[in-house]
Amino acid sequence: MGQRLMVLDFERIWPSVPYILEGIQVTLGYTSVSLFFGFIWGALLALCKVSHLTLLKWSAAFYTSIFRGTPLLLQLTLIYYATPQLIGYNISIWEAGILAFTLNSAAYLSEHFRAGIEAVDKGQTEAALSLGIPYFLMMRDVILPQAIRNILPSLVNESIDLLKESALISVIGGADILRRATIVANEKYIFFEPLLVAGALYYILVMGLTCIAHLIEKKLKTS
Amino acid sequence: MIRLENIHKSFGSHEVLKGISGKISQGEVLAIIGPSGSGKSTLIRTINLLDPPTTGKIYIDGKCITEGSVDVGKIRTKVGMVFQQFNLFPHMTTLENVAYAPIKVKKLSRQEALNLGTILLQKVGLEDKEKTYPPQLSGGQKQRAAIARALAMEPEAILFDEPTSSLDPEMVKEVLNVMKGLAHTGMTMIVVTHEMGFAREVADRVWFLDAGQLIEDSPSHTFFREPRTKRAYEFLEKVL
Repeated sequence: MGQRLMVLDFERIWPSVPYILEGIQVTLGYTSVSLFFGFIWGALLALCKVSHLTLLKWSAAFYTSIFRGTPLLLQLTLIYYATPQLIGYNISIWEAGILAFTLNSAAYLSEHFRAGIEAVDKGQTEAALSLGIPYFLMMRDVILPQAIRNILPSLVNESIDLLKESALISVIGGADILRRATIVANEKYIFFEPLLVAGALYYILVMGLTCIAHLIEKKLKTS
Repeated sequence: MIRLENIHKSFGSHEVLKGISGKISQGEVLAIIGPSGSGKSTLIRTINLLDPPTTGKIYIDGKCITEGSVDVGKIRTKVGMVFQQFNLFPHMTTLENVAYAPIKVKKLSRQEALNLGTILLQKVGLEDKEKTYPPQLSGGQKQRAAIARALAMEPEAILFDEPTSSLDPEMVKEVLNVMKGLAHTGMTMIVVTHEMGFAREVADRVWFLDAGQLIEDSPSHTFFREPRTKRAYEFLEKVL
Protein backbone atom coordinates (compact mmCIF):
# COMPACT_ATOMS: atom_id res chain seq x y z
CA MET A 1 0.00 0.00 0.00
CA GLY A 2 1.43 3.34 -0.96
CA GLN A 3 -0.62 5.24 1.56
CA ARG A 4 1.38 7.64 3.64
CA LEU A 5 0.20 7.94 7.20
CA MET A 6 1.75 11.30 7.84
CA VAL A 7 2.10 14.13 5.48
CA LEU A 8 3.63 17.35 6.58
CA ASP A 9 2.18 20.04 4.45
CA PHE A 10 3.74 23.33 5.39
CA GLU A 11 2.76 24.92 2.12
CA ARG A 12 -0.85 25.35 3.19
CA ILE A 13 0.06 27.19 6.35
CA TRP A 14 2.90 29.13 4.83
CA PRO A 15 0.80 32.30 4.32
CA SER A 16 -0.15 32.16 8.01
CA VAL A 17 3.38 31.87 9.36
CA PRO A 18 3.91 35.65 9.65
CA TYR A 19 0.75 35.77 11.70
CA ILE A 20 2.12 33.17 14.10
CA LEU A 21 5.49 34.93 14.15
CA GLU A 22 3.80 38.08 15.41
CA GLY A 23 2.99 36.09 18.51
CA ILE A 24 6.67 36.19 19.43
CA GLN A 25 6.50 39.76 20.61
CA VAL A 26 3.32 39.03 22.53
CA THR A 27 4.92 36.07 24.28
CA LEU A 28 8.13 38.01 24.92
CA GLY A 29 6.08 40.96 26.13
CA TYR A 30 4.30 38.91 28.76
CA THR A 31 7.53 37.20 29.76
CA SER A 32 9.78 40.23 30.03
CA VAL A 33 7.33 42.57 31.74
CA SER A 34 6.27 39.88 34.24
CA LEU A 35 9.89 38.98 34.90
CA PHE A 36 10.78 42.61 35.49
CA PHE A 37 8.07 43.09 38.09
CA GLY A 38 8.50 39.55 39.37
CA PHE A 39 12.16 40.23 40.10
CA ILE A 40 11.41 43.33 42.11
CA TRP A 41 8.48 41.78 43.95
CA GLY A 42 10.38 38.54 44.47
CA ALA A 43 13.40 40.37 45.88
CA LEU A 44 11.17 42.32 48.27
CA LEU A 45 9.48 39.11 49.38
CA ALA A 46 12.88 37.54 49.97
CA LEU A 47 13.89 40.53 52.10
CA CYS A 48 10.76 39.92 54.17
CA LYS A 49 11.69 36.27 54.51
CA VAL A 50 15.17 37.00 55.85
CA SER A 51 14.05 39.84 58.11
CA HIS A 52 13.74 39.49 61.84
CA LEU A 53 10.16 40.68 61.91
CA THR A 54 7.95 37.66 62.41
CA LEU A 55 4.92 39.24 60.80
CA LEU A 56 6.78 40.02 57.58
CA LYS A 57 8.35 36.59 57.57
CA TRP A 58 5.06 34.78 57.95
CA SER A 59 3.21 36.95 55.47
CA ALA A 60 5.84 36.30 52.83
CA ALA A 61 5.87 32.58 53.58
CA PHE A 62 2.07 32.44 53.40
CA TYR A 63 2.06 34.35 50.13
CA THR A 64 4.57 31.93 48.64
CA SER A 65 2.65 28.88 49.79
CA ILE A 66 -0.54 30.16 48.16
CA PHE A 67 1.04 30.94 44.81
CA ARG A 68 3.09 27.77 44.72
CA GLY A 69 0.28 25.64 46.10
CA THR A 70 -2.29 26.37 43.40
CA PRO A 71 -2.14 26.02 39.61
CA LEU A 72 -1.02 29.06 37.66
CA LEU A 73 -3.88 28.49 35.25
CA LEU A 74 -6.30 28.82 38.13
CA GLN A 75 -4.64 32.01 39.34
CA LEU A 76 -4.77 33.45 35.85
CA THR A 77 -8.41 32.65 35.20
CA LEU A 78 -9.38 33.72 38.69
CA ILE A 79 -7.74 37.11 38.24
CA TYR A 80 -9.25 37.52 34.78
CA TYR A 81 -12.79 36.48 35.60
CA ALA A 82 -13.09 37.43 39.26
CA THR A 83 -11.69 40.95 39.11
CA PRO A 84 -14.67 42.47 37.25
CA GLN A 85 -17.04 40.68 39.58
CA LEU A 86 -15.20 41.64 42.76
CA ILE A 87 -14.18 45.24 42.22
CA GLY A 88 -16.05 46.12 39.07
CA TYR A 89 -12.87 46.78 37.12
CA ASN A 90 -12.91 45.40 33.62
CA ILE A 91 -9.45 43.91 33.58
CA SER A 92 -7.84 43.37 30.20
CA ILE A 93 -6.22 40.13 29.11
CA TRP A 94 -2.85 41.87 29.11
CA GLU A 95 -3.28 43.19 32.66
CA ALA A 96 -4.59 39.89 33.99
CA GLY A 97 -1.69 38.05 32.38
CA ILE A 98 0.99 40.39 33.69
CA LEU A 99 -0.55 40.36 37.14
CA ALA A 100 -0.86 36.59 37.36
CA PHE A 101 2.58 35.87 35.91
CA THR A 102 4.22 38.52 38.09
CA LEU A 103 2.60 37.37 41.32
CA ASN A 104 3.28 33.73 40.53
CA SER A 105 6.89 34.05 39.38
CA ALA A 106 7.67 36.34 42.31
CA ALA A 107 6.71 33.52 44.67
CA TYR A 108 9.22 31.18 43.04
CA LEU A 109 11.87 33.85 42.56
CA SER A 110 11.63 34.91 46.20
CA GLU A 111 12.64 31.41 47.28
CA HIS A 112 15.69 31.53 45.02
CA PHE A 113 16.57 35.01 46.27
CA ARG A 114 16.20 33.87 49.87
CA ALA A 115 18.52 30.93 49.32
CA GLY A 116 20.97 33.22 47.53
CA ILE A 117 20.93 35.78 50.33
CA GLU A 118 21.46 33.11 52.95
CA ALA A 119 24.40 31.72 51.01
CA VAL A 120 26.24 35.05 51.13
CA ASP A 121 29.00 34.89 53.72
CA LYS A 122 27.92 36.29 57.08
CA GLY A 123 31.14 38.30 57.20
CA GLN A 124 29.73 40.50 54.43
CA THR A 125 26.86 41.59 56.64
CA GLU A 126 29.22 42.15 59.55
CA ALA A 127 31.59 44.23 57.45
CA ALA A 128 28.70 46.34 56.16
CA LEU A 129 27.31 46.79 59.67
CA SER A 130 30.72 47.70 61.04
CA LEU A 131 30.92 50.50 58.48
CA GLY A 132 27.56 51.85 59.60
CA ILE A 133 25.88 51.05 56.27
CA PRO A 134 22.10 51.14 56.74
CA TYR A 135 20.21 47.86 56.32
CA PHE A 136 18.47 48.73 53.07
CA LEU A 137 21.66 49.89 51.35
CA MET A 138 23.54 46.89 52.66
CA MET A 139 20.94 44.58 51.14
CA ARG A 140 20.77 46.46 47.84
CA ASP A 141 24.46 47.14 47.26
CA VAL A 142 26.33 44.44 49.16
CA ILE A 143 24.20 41.35 49.73
CA LEU A 144 21.81 41.17 46.76
CA PRO A 145 24.45 41.57 44.04
CA GLN A 146 26.33 38.63 45.52
CA ALA A 147 23.13 36.67 46.05
CA ILE A 148 22.09 37.16 42.43
CA ARG A 149 25.47 35.96 41.27
CA ASN A 150 25.02 32.84 43.39
CA ILE A 151 21.63 32.03 41.97
CA LEU A 152 21.98 33.13 38.37
CA PRO A 153 21.39 29.64 36.96
CA SER A 154 18.12 29.25 38.87
CA LEU A 155 17.01 32.70 37.78
CA VAL A 156 17.52 31.66 34.17
CA ASN A 157 15.52 28.49 34.77
CA GLU A 158 12.72 30.55 36.27
CA SER A 159 12.76 32.83 33.24
CA ILE A 160 12.60 29.89 30.88
CA ASP A 161 9.72 28.41 32.84
CA LEU A 162 7.83 31.67 32.66
CA LEU A 163 8.44 31.98 28.93
CA LYS A 164 6.82 28.60 28.40
CA GLU A 165 4.09 29.07 30.96
CA SER A 166 3.11 32.35 29.38
CA ALA A 167 1.39 30.14 26.80
CA LEU A 168 -1.41 29.82 29.34
CA ILE A 169 -2.48 33.31 28.31
CA SER A 170 -4.00 31.72 25.22
CA VAL A 171 -6.65 30.17 27.44
CA ILE A 172 -8.15 33.58 28.20
CA GLY A 173 -7.61 34.77 24.63
CA GLY A 174 -4.19 36.42 24.62
CA ALA A 175 -2.84 36.34 21.07
CA ASP A 176 0.52 34.77 21.84
CA ILE A 177 2.40 32.20 19.79
CA LEU A 178 0.32 29.25 20.91
CA ARG A 179 -2.99 31.04 20.52
CA ARG A 180 -2.14 32.14 17.01
CA ALA A 181 -1.03 28.65 16.08
CA THR A 182 -4.32 27.16 17.23
CA ILE A 183 -6.28 29.84 15.39
CA VAL A 184 -4.46 28.94 12.19
CA ALA A 185 -5.03 25.28 12.92
CA ASN A 186 -8.77 25.75 13.38
CA GLU A 187 -9.02 27.88 10.28
CA LYS A 188 -7.23 25.52 7.94
CA TYR A 189 -8.22 22.41 9.78
CA ILE A 190 -4.65 21.16 9.96
CA PHE A 191 -3.16 20.88 13.41
CA PHE A 192 0.23 19.32 13.25
CA GLU A 193 2.05 21.92 11.20
CA PRO A 194 1.03 25.13 12.98
CA LEU A 195 1.68 23.55 16.36
CA LEU A 196 5.08 22.39 15.16
CA VAL A 197 5.85 25.94 14.10
CA ALA A 198 4.77 27.18 17.54
CA GLY A 199 6.90 24.54 19.23
CA ALA A 200 9.90 25.47 17.13
CA LEU A 201 9.45 29.14 18.02
CA TYR A 202 9.31 28.43 21.74
CA TYR A 203 12.36 26.22 21.43
CA ILE A 204 14.34 28.90 19.62
CA LEU A 205 13.36 31.52 22.19
CA VAL A 206 14.37 29.28 25.08
CA MET A 207 17.67 28.50 23.40
CA GLY A 208 18.26 32.21 22.84
CA LEU A 209 17.58 32.89 26.51
CA THR A 210 19.94 30.12 27.52
CA CYS A 211 22.69 31.57 25.35
CA ILE A 212 22.26 35.04 26.80
CA ALA A 213 22.37 33.54 30.28
CA HIS A 214 25.61 31.73 29.49
CA LEU A 215 27.14 34.97 28.27
CA ILE A 216 26.11 36.84 31.41
CA GLU A 217 27.41 34.04 33.60
CA LYS A 218 30.73 34.07 31.79
CA LYS A 219 31.01 37.82 32.15
CA LEU A 220 30.20 37.69 35.86
CA LYS A 221 32.80 35.01 36.41
CA THR A 222 35.58 36.97 34.78
CA SER A 223 34.85 40.24 36.56
CA MET B 1 37.64 56.88 75.54
CA ILE B 2 36.06 53.43 75.70
CA ARG B 3 34.93 52.06 79.02
CA LEU B 4 33.51 48.61 79.72
CA GLU B 5 31.49 47.94 82.83
CA ASN B 6 30.87 44.39 83.93
CA ILE B 7 30.26 42.96 80.45
CA HIS B 8 28.53 39.60 80.35
CA LYS B 9 27.76 37.75 77.16
CA SER B 10 25.97 34.46 76.78
CA PHE B 11 25.14 32.44 73.71
CA GLY B 12 22.22 30.34 74.83
CA SER B 13 23.21 28.82 78.13
CA HIS B 14 26.90 29.19 77.40
CA GLU B 15 28.42 32.16 79.16
CA VAL B 16 31.36 33.42 77.13
CA LEU B 17 32.12 36.65 78.96
CA LYS B 18 31.82 36.65 82.71
CA GLY B 19 31.92 40.25 83.80
CA ILE B 20 34.63 42.23 82.12
CA SER B 21 35.46 45.80 83.08
CA GLY B 22 38.20 48.03 81.78
CA LYS B 23 39.17 51.25 80.10
CA ILE B 24 40.91 52.17 76.89
CA SER B 25 42.18 55.72 76.56
CA GLN B 26 42.47 57.89 73.51
CA GLY B 27 45.44 56.95 71.35
CA GLU B 28 46.16 53.79 73.25
CA VAL B 29 47.04 50.50 71.58
CA LEU B 30 45.56 47.62 73.51
CA ALA B 31 46.40 44.00 72.76
CA ILE B 32 43.92 41.41 73.93
CA ILE B 33 45.53 38.02 74.26
CA GLY B 34 44.67 34.70 75.78
CA PRO B 35 44.04 31.06 74.90
CA SER B 36 41.49 30.25 72.22
CA GLY B 37 37.97 30.14 73.56
CA SER B 38 38.76 32.69 76.22
CA GLY B 39 36.29 35.20 74.75
CA LYS B 40 38.69 37.65 73.12
CA SER B 41 36.85 37.93 69.83
CA THR B 42 33.47 38.02 71.52
CA LEU B 43 34.67 40.85 73.73
CA ILE B 44 35.89 42.95 70.84
CA ARG B 45 32.64 42.29 68.97
CA THR B 46 30.58 43.63 71.85
CA ILE B 47 32.31 47.00 71.57
CA ASN B 48 30.73 47.89 68.21
CA LEU B 49 27.62 45.92 69.11
CA LEU B 50 28.04 43.21 66.48
CA ASP B 51 27.39 40.95 69.46
CA PRO B 52 25.66 43.23 71.98
CA PRO B 53 26.49 42.29 75.57
CA THR B 54 23.84 40.37 77.49
CA THR B 55 24.32 42.64 80.47
CA GLY B 56 26.81 45.36 81.32
CA LYS B 57 27.49 48.81 79.99
CA ILE B 58 29.78 50.20 77.33
CA TYR B 59 30.65 53.89 77.22
CA ILE B 60 32.21 55.60 74.24
CA ASP B 61 33.34 59.17 74.87
CA GLY B 62 31.34 59.13 78.06
CA LYS B 63 28.13 58.13 76.31
CA CYS B 64 26.50 54.84 77.17
CA ILE B 65 25.87 52.89 73.98
CA THR B 66 24.23 49.85 75.52
CA GLU B 67 21.03 51.40 76.74
CA GLY B 68 18.31 53.68 75.55
CA SER B 69 17.83 54.68 71.97
CA VAL B 70 21.28 54.93 70.49
CA ASP B 71 21.97 55.17 66.81
CA VAL B 72 23.95 51.98 66.37
CA GLY B 73 25.04 52.96 62.87
CA LYS B 74 26.58 56.15 64.19
CA ILE B 75 28.52 54.30 66.87
CA ARG B 76 29.86 51.92 64.28
CA THR B 77 31.17 54.76 62.18
CA LYS B 78 33.12 55.93 65.23
CA VAL B 79 34.60 52.51 65.91
CA GLY B 80 35.87 50.74 62.81
CA MET B 81 36.56 47.05 62.56
CA VAL B 82 39.02 44.82 60.74
CA PHE B 83 38.15 41.13 60.53
CA GLN B 84 40.14 37.95 60.48
CA GLN B 85 38.52 36.97 57.17
CA PHE B 86 38.92 40.48 55.67
CA ASN B 87 35.30 40.53 54.49
CA LEU B 88 35.98 42.81 51.56
CA PHE B 89 33.07 43.19 49.15
CA PRO B 90 34.10 40.86 46.32
CA HIS B 91 31.98 42.53 43.64
CA MET B 92 33.55 45.95 44.14
CA THR B 93 37.05 47.04 43.17
CA THR B 94 39.51 47.74 45.94
CA LEU B 95 38.95 51.47 45.52
CA GLU B 96 35.16 51.05 45.56
CA ASN B 97 35.46 48.98 48.71
CA VAL B 98 37.18 51.87 50.41
CA ALA B 99 35.00 54.62 48.94
CA TYR B 100 31.57 53.00 49.28
CA ALA B 101 30.81 53.72 52.92
CA PRO B 102 32.11 57.32 52.84
CA ILE B 103 29.75 57.98 49.92
CA LYS B 104 26.70 56.28 51.38
CA VAL B 105 27.17 56.86 55.09
CA LYS B 106 29.23 60.03 55.38
CA LYS B 107 27.58 61.50 52.27
CA LEU B 108 30.85 62.50 50.68
CA SER B 109 30.65 63.26 46.99
CA ARG B 110 31.78 60.44 44.78
CA GLN B 111 34.87 62.36 43.74
CA GLU B 112 35.84 63.25 47.30
CA ALA B 113 35.43 59.66 48.39
CA LEU B 114 37.48 58.33 45.51
CA ASN B 115 40.23 60.83 46.28
CA LEU B 116 40.16 59.77 49.91
CA GLY B 117 40.28 56.13 48.83
CA THR B 118 43.28 56.77 46.60
CA ILE B 119 45.15 58.44 49.46
CA LEU B 120 44.34 55.63 51.89
CA LEU B 121 45.30 52.90 49.44
CA GLN B 122 48.61 54.68 48.98
CA LYS B 123 49.03 54.74 52.72
CA VAL B 124 48.67 50.96 52.95
CA GLY B 125 50.82 50.40 49.86
CA LEU B 126 48.10 49.35 47.44
CA GLU B 127 48.18 52.28 45.03
CA ASP B 128 48.55 49.91 42.08
CA LYS B 129 45.55 47.77 43.12
CA GLU B 130 42.79 50.38 42.93
CA LYS B 131 40.98 48.68 40.09
CA THR B 132 41.62 45.12 41.24
CA TYR B 133 38.81 43.00 42.64
CA PRO B 134 39.45 41.43 46.06
CA PRO B 135 39.54 37.81 44.82
CA GLN B 136 42.65 38.76 42.85
CA LEU B 137 44.47 40.12 45.90
CA SER B 138 46.77 38.15 48.20
CA GLY B 139 45.75 37.71 51.82
CA GLY B 140 48.07 40.43 53.02
CA GLN B 141 46.81 42.82 50.35
CA LYS B 142 43.22 42.04 51.26
CA GLN B 143 43.83 42.83 54.88
CA ARG B 144 45.62 46.06 54.06
CA ALA B 145 42.69 47.03 51.83
CA ALA B 146 40.33 46.21 54.70
CA ILE B 147 42.32 48.49 56.99
CA ALA B 148 42.09 51.27 54.39
CA ARG B 149 38.34 50.67 54.20
CA ALA B 150 37.98 51.02 57.97
CA LEU B 151 40.13 54.16 57.95
CA ALA B 152 37.99 55.74 55.25
CA MET B 153 35.24 56.31 57.82
CA GLU B 154 37.73 58.32 59.90
CA PRO B 155 36.90 56.37 63.04
CA GLU B 156 38.10 57.34 66.49
CA ALA B 157 39.14 53.78 67.22
CA ILE B 158 39.62 50.58 65.25
CA LEU B 159 38.96 47.06 66.46
CA PHE B 160 41.17 44.35 64.98
CA ASP B 161 39.81 40.84 65.33
CA GLU B 162 42.80 38.53 64.82
CA PRO B 163 43.88 40.48 61.72
CA THR B 164 46.77 38.20 60.84
CA SER B 165 45.42 34.80 61.88
CA SER B 166 44.30 33.69 58.44
CA LEU B 167 47.36 34.98 56.61
CA ASP B 168 50.22 32.99 55.20
CA PRO B 169 53.28 33.56 57.41
CA GLU B 170 55.13 35.62 54.83
CA MET B 171 52.26 38.12 54.68
CA VAL B 172 51.87 38.73 58.38
CA LYS B 173 54.60 41.32 58.47
CA GLU B 174 53.21 43.62 55.78
CA VAL B 175 49.93 43.83 57.70
CA LEU B 176 51.61 44.33 61.05
CA ASN B 177 53.75 47.08 59.55
CA VAL B 178 50.65 48.93 58.39
CA MET B 179 49.18 48.53 61.87
CA LYS B 180 52.37 49.73 63.43
CA GLY B 181 52.30 52.82 61.24
CA LEU B 182 48.73 53.39 62.29
CA ALA B 183 49.63 53.11 65.96
CA HIS B 184 52.22 55.82 65.49
CA THR B 185 49.60 58.20 64.13
CA GLY B 186 47.86 58.04 67.49
CA MET B 187 44.94 55.89 66.43
CA THR B 188 43.17 54.13 69.28
CA MET B 189 43.50 50.44 68.52
CA ILE B 190 42.13 47.34 70.17
CA VAL B 191 43.79 44.27 68.76
CA VAL B 192 42.88 40.67 69.42
CA THR B 193 46.05 38.87 68.42
CA HIS B 194 48.25 35.85 68.69
CA GLU B 195 51.24 37.88 67.53
CA MET B 196 53.13 38.26 70.79
CA GLY B 197 55.92 40.14 69.04
CA PHE B 198 53.43 42.77 67.90
CA ALA B 199 51.78 42.94 71.31
CA ARG B 200 55.10 43.42 73.04
CA GLU B 201 56.51 45.88 70.56
CA VAL B 202 53.54 48.00 69.57
CA ALA B 203 50.87 47.67 72.23
CA ASP B 204 50.86 50.04 75.19
CA ARG B 205 48.82 47.69 77.27
CA VAL B 206 47.82 44.06 77.37
CA TRP B 207 44.62 42.44 78.53
CA PHE B 208 45.01 38.78 79.28
CA LEU B 209 41.71 36.92 79.06
CA ASP B 210 41.05 33.44 80.31
CA ALA B 211 37.72 31.61 80.42
CA GLY B 212 35.69 34.76 79.89
CA GLN B 213 37.44 36.80 82.53
CA LEU B 214 39.93 39.61 82.34
CA ILE B 215 42.57 38.28 84.65
CA GLU B 216 45.36 40.66 83.89
CA ASP B 217 45.51 44.26 82.70
CA SER B 218 49.09 45.52 82.54
CA PRO B 219 51.39 47.76 80.54
CA SER B 220 52.80 45.51 77.84
CA HIS B 221 56.45 45.79 78.88
CA THR B 222 55.74 44.62 82.42
CA PHE B 223 53.29 41.97 81.26
CA PHE B 224 55.80 40.25 79.05
CA ARG B 225 58.62 40.59 81.55
CA GLU B 226 56.81 39.60 84.68
CA PRO B 227 53.17 38.60 84.37
CA ARG B 228 51.35 38.89 87.67
CA THR B 229 49.17 35.83 87.37
CA LYS B 230 50.23 32.23 87.17
CA ARG B 231 47.79 31.60 84.34
CA ALA B 232 49.36 34.34 82.21
CA TYR B 233 52.81 33.07 83.06
CA GLU B 234 51.91 29.57 81.87
CA PHE B 235 50.36 30.97 78.72
CA LEU B 236 53.46 32.98 77.88
CA GLU B 237 55.64 29.96 78.60
CA LYS B 238 53.76 28.10 75.89
CA VAL B 239 53.62 30.75 73.20
CA LEU B 240 56.96 32.50 73.52
